[in-house]
Amino acid sequence: MTTTSVPVRPAGYSVLRAGPARFLVHRRAVAVASVLVLLLAASCVAYLCVGEAFVPPGEVVKVLLGQSSPDELVVGELRLPRLVVGLLVGLAFGVAGALIQTVARNPLASPDVIGISQGASALTVAAMTFGITSYSVLPYLSVAGGLLAAALVYLFAWRGGLHATRFVLIGIGFAIALRSVTTLFMTKGDYLVAQQAQIWMTGSLNGRGWPETEVLAPVLLLLVPAIAWAARAQRTVSLDDDTATALGVRLGRVRLGLVALGVVLAAVATGAAGPVDFVALLAPQIARRMTRTAQIPLVSSALTGAVIVVLADLLARRLFSPTELPVGVLTAAVGAPYLIWLIIRSRTVGGTS
Amino acid sequence: MSRLSTQALTLAYEDRTVVADLDLAVPDGEVTVIVGPNACGKSTTLRALGRLLKPKSGSVLLDGASLATLPTKRIAQQIGLLPQTPVAPEAITVADLVSRGRQPHQHWWQQWSDEDERAVSEAMTRTDVADLAERSVDELSGGQRQRVWIAMALAQETELLLLDEPTTYLDISHQVEVLDLVRQLADTPFKGDKGDKGRTVVVVLHDLNQAARYADHLVAMKSGRVVAAGPPSEVVTADLVREVFGLDCVVVPDPVTGSPLVVPGAPWKAS
Ligand SMILES: Nc1ncnc2c1ncn2[C@@H]1O[C@H](COP(=O)(O)OP(=O)(O)OP(=O)(O)O)[C@@H](O)[C@H]1O
Ligand SMILES: [Mg+2]
Repeated sequence: MTTTSVPVRPAGYSVLRAGPARFLVHRRAVAVASVLVLLLAASCVAYLCVGEAFVPPGEVVKVLLGQSSPDELVVGELRLPRLVVGLLVGLAFGVAGALIQTVARNPLASPDVIGISQGASALTVAAMTFGITSYSVLPYLSVAGGLLAAALVYLFAWRGGLHATRFVLIGIGFAIALRSVTTLFMTKGDYLVAQQAQIWMTGSLNGRGWPETEVLAPVLLLLVPAIAWAARAQRTVSLDDDTATALGVRLGRVRLGLVALGVVLAAVATGAAGPVDFVALLAPQIARRMTRTAQIPLVSSALTGAVIVVLADLLARRLFSPTELPVGVLTAAVGAPYLIWLIIRSRTVGGTS
Repeated sequence: MSRLSTQALTLAYEDRTVVADLDLAVPDGEVTVIVGPNACGKSTTLRALGRLLKPKSGSVLLDGASLATLPTKRIAQQIGLLPQTPVAPEAITVADLVSRGRQPHQHWWQQWSDEDERAVSEAMTRTDVADLAERSVDELSGGQRQRVWIAMALAQETELLLLDEPTTYLDISHQVEVLDLVRQLADTPFKGDKGDKGRTVVVVLHDLNQAARYADHLVAMKSGRVVAAGPPSEVVTADLVREVFGLDCVVVPDPVTGSPLVVPGAPWKAS
């Protein structure tokens, strides 16, 4: 046999050279991410324009650039802090969902389906009923609750290896159990606490601002190297167990790393805004359909998550104004039908595991 | 000489022992074919050789060191394995899948070298899938997909290659092509140096005649044990086929190669 080879490289990828280093970049994923950045920027400007009083985009840009403007108070002090929290929460949920769906090999898996958000809720609401209502403590408790729930799910799903389907099913079981625990605490606590807890649990950006950003931003920044590692690790984890192991991947460790990263991101985001349902579920799937990559694209997932949260909160503020809806109500209105559609479809296809 | 061997290897799934006390030496630079009835433990043995399965007791040795003590990536640079039923990620393209075979040779800062490009295109040409490069793996026929997976294992460019039933789904001419390729891998020097040995290939096959034709070393397994091992001309006899497969047959020389040819009996014709 003659071996006249034509040069090939993974279809759709380009090689980026930087000195001796070579990176593979997916062309379509880069294009999609660029479009998403523009869309996100437009959404943010729109978010800052719209409100009780409309502020023209020109003034908004002026405020953002730090120039003096008559609308500095409304845009810079009232709307911007809330926007930044929503943006960061969306980014975090987008990445978290992508990582957990990758490991579970299941589009149904996301932090709000497999018990992480519910763990955060349970501990937070429990604390509220016991009289801890300070917003300087609660976010840390919800992070702890989310991590604890995830650790339990991981432990129960582990049997000499991580079985993807069992991981999701046990997660769903935990989610249901933890939700009842939360309900129990709410009926125990007094009326005011229950109402406060209820709003937190639907996920709300109302009243959120710089204090939340001060926690979120450094955590996200610190995790950037880890996310870069995850983007590369996803390539091999998306293969089946035997093939991946044969290629020298230490699957157990890599998966644990990916899940841990996803859980931390989801827990921190939940701590800031409450469980904004379905963002982590939707964003990775939408992003993947756009980029058509074999694995879930992390950057596009993050950006999609941010666009969803920013637009949803914009609607949540204006739709029934002057009443403000929690942003979670809007994401759920879109996400729930999608979840049902996914379940129906996965039954006919037989699931991907 | 054997770089890869097993020592009193016992393999089990949970509590059920599938392979017991197996001693096997894989001769270097030759084609070893494992045959045996369904569920006798061929795939299980192969998975252990590629350290996909931890031994319950005993060990698999690579150059005298137990696989369990070696770094995973180092093993992956030496041993490649094609599982019996690999699963591709949704919507992955052929070239993308094949290029993932280069994983053990890459670093995060060195994601695609000229060497990778050469190995991938060569693997795709040798398995006749170069024309499919841009297609999605989901949309291929069973045989095309099988050849793509073989290409991925080839792209790994390991000195030892373990293939679990590489000919399933393939039509007869592609079966012959794949097996010819296996022979060629063992017969041409690895890395091109003239004095070098060829690659060491272990293949699980169901067709006894193909096994006898292409093997240098044939291993017949039954119920997790090795019943016979050696050159096909010595191993393949009517008695052995009866013992291992419970099948009456006549063994005649293959008219083309002279290797043993198993012709099953025809009990419905017997008076
Ligand atoms: N993942 C698993 N968990 C539990 N038991 C298994 C598993 N894989 C294989 N077995 C069992 O181990 C035994 C040997 O299986 P193995 O796959 O090694 O057979 P095989 O010789 O490759 O058969 P075939 O020719 O059908 O591929 C069978 O009884 C099978 O049921
Ligand atoms: Mg088998």
